[in-house]
Amino acid sequence: MKRIIFDLLKYNNEFRIGVFLILIVVTMAGLSFFSPYPPNDVFVVPPDAPPSADYWLGTTSRGQDVFWQLSIAIRNTLAFGLLVALLSRVISIVVGLSSGYLGGWVDRVLMAINDTFIVIPLFPILILFYFVLRDSMSTILLALIMSSLGWAYDSRLIRSVAMSLKTREFTGTSVFSGMTIFEILRREHLPYVLPIIFSTTLNNMNWSIGLEVTLAVLGFMDINTPTIGGMIYWANQHTAIVAGIWWWVTFPVITVVATFVGLYLIAVSINEYIDPRSRLSRMGGGQS
Amino acid sequence: MPAYFNFAIKRLWQFVLVVFIGINIAYVITHVTPIDPVEQSISAVTSFGNTSPEAIADMRRSLQELYGLKGDWIEQYISFWRRILQADFGPSLSAFPAPVTSLIARALPWTFGLLAFTTLVSWSVGNLLGALAGYYRNNRSLKFFGVLAMALHPVPYYIVALSLMIVFGFIWPVLPITGGSAMDVQQGWNWQFVASVFHHSVLPALSLIMIGIGSWFLGMRSLVSNIITEDYVVYAEIGGVAQSRMMGSYIIRNALAPQVTGLAMSLGGIFNGAVITEKIFGYPGLGSLLVDGVYAGDYGLVLGVTSIAIIGVSLSVLVIDLIYPLIDPRVQVAS
Amino acid sequence: MRRLYTAFLATVMALSLVTLFSKNVEAQGIPQNIPRKELLILENPEGTIKNAGWFNIWAINAGSQSNGLQQAALDTLWYIDPEKGIDGAWDNSLAADKPIYNADFTEMRVKLRKGIFWSDGVEFTSADVKATVDIQIKNPNMRFSAVLRNNVASVDAPDAETVIFKLHKPNSRFHTNFTVRWGAIWILPKHVFDKVEDPTKFDFNKPVSLSAYTLHSFDPDGKWYIWQLREDWQRTSLGRYGKPGPKYLAYVDPGPPEKRVIAQLNHELDVIHDIAPEGMFTLAKQSKSTKAWFKGFPYGHPDPTLAGVIFNTQNEHLKNRDVRWALALMIDIRAVTMAAYRGAATISAIPVPPTGIHPDAYHKPLEAWVKDFEIDTGKSKHKPYDPNVSKQIADMLRPSMGDQIPKDDKEIKDSFGLGWWKTNLEAATELLERAGYRKQANQWMTPDGKPFTVRLMVEGDLRPVMTRAGTMIVQQWKQAGIDARVDVAQGTLLTRRSAGDFDAFIGWSVETWGGHQDLSYFMDSWHSAFLAEPGKPQPLRNWQRWSHPELDGIIEKIRKIGFDDPKGIELGHDYVKLVTREMPFIPLMAYNVFTAMDHTYWTGFPTSDNPYANPVTNWGNSRYMFVKLKPAN
Repeated sequence: MKRIIFDLLKYNNEFRIGVFLILIVVTMAGLSFFSPYPPNDVFVVPPDAPPSADYWLGTTSRGQDVFWQLSIAIRNTLAFGLLVALLSRVISIVVGLSSGYLGGWVDRVLMAINDTFIVIPLFPILILFYFVLRDSMSTILLALIMSSLGWAYDSRLIRSVAMSLKTREFTGTSVFSGMTIFEILRREHLPYVLPIIFSTTLNNMNWSIGLEVTLAVLGFMDINTPTIGGMIYWANQHTAIVAGIWWWVTFPVITVVATFVGLYLIAVSINEYIDPRSRLSRMGGGQS
Repeated sequence: MPAYFNFAIKRLWQFVLVVFIGINIAYVITHVTPIDPVEQSISAVTSFGNTSPEAIADMRRSLQELYGLKGDWIEQYISFWRRILQADFGPSLSAFPAPVTSLIARALPWTFGLLAFTTLVSWSVGNLLGALAGYYRNNRSLKFFGVLAMALHPVPYYIVALSLMIVFGFIWPVLPITGGSAMDVQQGWNWQFVASVFHHSVLPALSLIMIGIGSWFLGMRSLVSNIITEDYVVYAEIGGVAQSRMMGSYIIRNALAPQVTGLAMSLGGIFNGAVITEKIFGYPGLGSLLVDGVYAGDYGLVLGVTSIAIIGVSLSVLVIDLIYPLIDPRVQVAS
Repeated sequence: MRRLYTAFLATVMALSLVTLFSKNVEAQGIPQNIPRKELLILENPEGTIKNAGWFNIWAINAGSQSNGLQQAALDTLWYIDPEKGIDGAWDNSLAADKPIYNADFTEMRVKLRKGIFWSDGVEFTSADVKATVDIQIKNPNMRFSAVLRNNVASVDAPDAETVIFKLHKPNSRFHTNFTVRWGAIWILPKHVFDKVEDPTKFDFNKPVSLSAYTLHSFDPDGKWYIWQLREDWQRTSLGRYGKPGPKYLAYVDPGPPEKRVIAQLNHELDVIHDIAPEGMFTLAKQSKSTKAWFKGFPYGHPDPTLAGVIFNTQNEHLKNRDVRWALALMIDIRAVTMAAYRGAATISAIPVPPTGIHPDAYHKPLEAWVKDFEIDTGKSKHKPYDPNVSKQIADMLRPSMGDQIPKDDKEIKDSFGLGWWKTNLEAATELLERAGYRKQANQWMTPDGKPFTVRLMVEGDLRPVMTRAGTMIVQQWKQAGIDARVDVAQGTLLTRRSAGDFDAFIGWSVETWGGHQDLSYFMDSWHSAFLAEPGKPQPLRNWQRWSHPELDGIIEKIRKIGFDDPKGIELGHDYVKLVTREMPFIPLMAYNVFTAMDHTYWTGFPTSDNPYANPVTNWGNSRYMFVKLKPAN
């Protein structure tokens, strides 16, 4: 494992940049625990101050320090994305693998359910949930709802991988050589399934964070949990861009872009690594 | 062919089932909303003057009758399905008595036109450039485009749209930033209107394309870079097949599979409307219709737009699923 | 490959060039075929209208009211201006004179003007007024049906200029239904509606106008409406004041707040209805041609609406007056106005909006009483009023806003209001303790030992300024040890407000005429006869679900006296004293609307120096602006 990461860092530009970006973002999130201001308080510092030595990233029109507010926001946003991704992984893996391996009527039933979920327009449903649940709609509840609605696309992918693995020769060989199903799954198949899972996790994080930002910008959010989308929402409420308070919008955007790009780069480079041909070609051996 | 026929029938049944379940879910959720359209209307109507409570009770009764909210939930459910099968979503409660279908019919061309255009453009241009980038790994400009796409791809759409609006509507005001067409130009198939529509769609389309192209580009690029290491490609290269033929028949054709599926999903997503695009550019499409409907507690409208979205997505997936086996010989139509 | 690529690039460049230079730079968001110099562009705050082709304002929900329909096309008997009016706040519009009641207010006589014509050439007569009443009583689902059925027993038109209303029961303020304060019962054309089978399904497209403008064209997608001045404008009631300046009016949906600012900076939007305070400050700084109601800070026009913290007094904790006063004493109004309006607010400690002519009749005369008002907590006595709060706010703003903040004492009082309650945490503590609440660590506990929770409902981004105020108040309550939370109701506020599904919310239950001292506009609905049981919907406006026998007495006395009777002001004073003592809601400030007016094409807009009308674009009263506007060059 350590060898792998080492190799990646040594040979793969994209991985390095990705890790670097994510480290910055995670550090910032970690700093939030040292914030001198309670996250939801307003007018704790003079409003609308541009970036300076006192207020590194400036202050907002609500009298909050952009740097500390941002650290809390990115922490909440990252936690949110991670939560959604993990929960929906569980569902998509279970559905995808069962469907792919077991086949038959199980497959048909699961895929029918799956397709229903793909087809349901997520956006109006989410907005409706907000209205039904109003103040009890916390960010965590949103994460739960999004993960229970957002697994469908990925489970189809996993299912197709599982189906193709089932019919491969080496699977047949493993069965004949007496490996238990569990061992087959773990030692033979997992390395194929893992990259898909990993990249879908990162994609899912990007998707859920993007959706959260969209909902928040439209005002559908938990006002008591600061997130990146929430910061942009408040900035709009105060027409920050037109009023010239550009730092209130720019820095959250840069942070969230860094997150997305970082996650994406890591996913891509790990994908490439796992496929031995591309790994070799990157390291300079083999054909181009 | 009989295998295909069976497959098609099964697929059609699945379509019907999925649409049915989807619309039911939407129905249940819209009717659970706590926004009471009768209260909304009463508040709107009585916003001036003092009105006695007897008067208000009167109004409440009349409105309930008018909106068809009388009767218990079973009756409402049955009458709802009866109407839907006649393509009638009932009257809009917030824009009473305009029928929901007329509101949707007015908004749909705008949404469909804008999003179909931008989806197809992002898809074709993104895939083309992505394929080129995957093959010519060392081409400078393609690499640069790749970095650009990666940088734009994760930027929240709202920011891209807002920046475009500020740059082209304010700092260098050459493009219109509001509305589907210019004020005072009558709608119809005349040159002035068409030109105006085109003119007004540039910014919204540009913002959508800028965001959309990235994912197709990156996806295609990675697909192609996997394909070029396949044996048959190496063989074709050694065998001296012309480059353009290789790109076309050997590489792109084989990489298209997942991208076409993705296209189906995106086309289906059109019917959700691009809510933020419409909010920022004041584009009169389905997205803003939906959000307004939700705010006003207008069951009929929300249900109508949502149902259209469900039908739209399922239909496009169905079409792609049916066409796909015909174009890709590798796919077996499993029984 | 290379060729394909080059071809692609060339196409993109060609398309861009064609696009960018195909239209001239100015003609962006404005009409193509109408001279800009003759056009006034205003914002329609209703946004994009869903069933745009519906002009039947008498049918519920149909179409838009503030797309110019009520401001430019329709008319009714009287108008009361929220400010001083062109010729006094009261205007006899279609009526020739004030209403004449009989001794016990069961009959109202109206004399109508002569020489008023509908835009299709038919003359306006008493038959139209009678039809307006009869048709809506006959068809119970129309906008004003309930009000009319409830009040009117019969209506007669003995001759073309006289209408006699006979009422079911005495109502000295019946005429207010036909008096425009934002809107009113508009008169419909009998000759059009007589031919209509079902008036609730009739779209009235194209509308026939009674006022000075007719419909020129509109967007079927609901984004703009253009009205044109009638050639026979003298045959309307507005014509008394001269020829209206703008030949064309366009009411548009300019989009989100940033776009409104951009539109006005591009001179494509002459009157903005409302923007966030920051947008206003930007406009004031960056555009020499933008004017607001006030010359400098606080810019905004104070509507005759009093924003406050409305308690649900049927809630078990908020039943107790001591608890309500304690919550009031925990608020620092200076921070609240800073958070909500960046300080650009007109505060009021008493439950009457500090706008129009009210300061002269209520705020200034009552200040002595308010200064002397004493709270007895049982342990100590306090006089909570601080008359200098407005001055403190002005001083707080001067370092960052400089010359925009008035220095003159009188100007400060006019712009920022008078005083407010001083924050007093000890008195609040003593009041809560008297009510049986105990403080444990830093948390207030109710008499049954649970944490004292208060959820403050706000409307979210549909009313951003009020949301900001609510957020600040919650913060202050939290700091004082109350478990307070913001509850964003977004679109559900109207439903929850009437259902009583809240502990407290930021809104208003006090709305007045502004130009007239009568308070019955809102006060009548606070009578205990209209109070709903917990769990049942509450009709407007007694959102706080509060009643008091003294208040009932005041209301009943007012009902028996005439509209202009000066005794009404005395009774108003009694109301102020009672409500201040009982504190069923905490008055905060006037609802400031940041209406911005661009002087590039038109001048003569109403301002605080020349308060002849209300510039807020969706008010029916804003029509008086049209006659005073002149082209700028």
